Amino acid sequence: MQSDQSLRQTLQQWKVDAPLPPRFQEQVWRRIELSEAQVELPAWLRLWNRLSTALTRPSLAASYVTLLLLSGVLAGYLQAHISRTHASGDMAARYVQMVSPFQSPHH
Amino acid sequence: MRRPALILVAGVAAAVLAYAGVYYSRTADCCHKTQGGAPELAWLKQEFGLGDAEFKRIAEMHDSYLSGCAERCHRIDLKNQEVAQLLAATNHITPEIEKALAEAALLRADCQKKMLQHFYDVSQTMPSEQGRRYLAWVQKQTIPADSHSQMHH
Repeated sequence: MQSDQSLRQTLQQWKVDAPLPPRFQEQVWRRIELSEAQVELPAWLRLWNRLSTALTRPSLAASYVTLLLLSGVLAGYLQAHISRTHASGDMAARYVQMVSPFQSPHH
Repeated sequence: MRRPALILVAGVAAAVLAYAGVYYSRTADCCHKTQGGAPELAWLKQEFGLGDAEFKRIAEMHDSYLSGCAERCHRIDLKNQEVAQLLAATNHITPEIEKALAEAALLRADCQKKMLQHFYDVSQTMPSEQGRRYLAWVQKQTIPADSHSQMHH
């Protein structure tokens, strides 16, 4: 009994100073809505909901954009390398055809 | 709902733009060469690291060689026609056919000799290391060790 009284007093004195994360209320309501609607939603929509919930976190959104950006750079670099190699091979073959009468077609 | 969709689209757009930007910046000079007047020579310049003076000299040698080459090709064409006419007129090897075949072989040998001389001249115009590399490459391309190649005229 004594300890209940003491606990109640401690709880009444307790103050939370830490700020809430950004868009906290929106995310809480969103999760409540999602959990209520989860049963009847199709799989792709559930996936989209999970994805869109994740993308509300700035760190994840920035990582997603950065990852795609780097993928684009890498794909462009590799494709350009392949194209340059092909073009170089074509030019070499054309040079050989041009200077050698023993290659076809010539003149 | 709109913000995650915007982020998704922005990610895809960033990837596409990055791909296109890198691809076109890395292949721009390559396309420019292909569309130029003598892309093969532009390739030669880049591949063997030629300076402008060396390239100019090699381009002149190249033009001179090609005009002579066309003349030799024409003579070989005429000789081939002569051989064809002789072959059509008989069903065995005549002294005239033997003579014409020997002359055609001489013309082809002369053509090959001039080609090799051109390669030597070009290689000697290049910096020595590049010249050696050019000579090894071009000889491998034009004179295979076990060649049974035919002339195509």
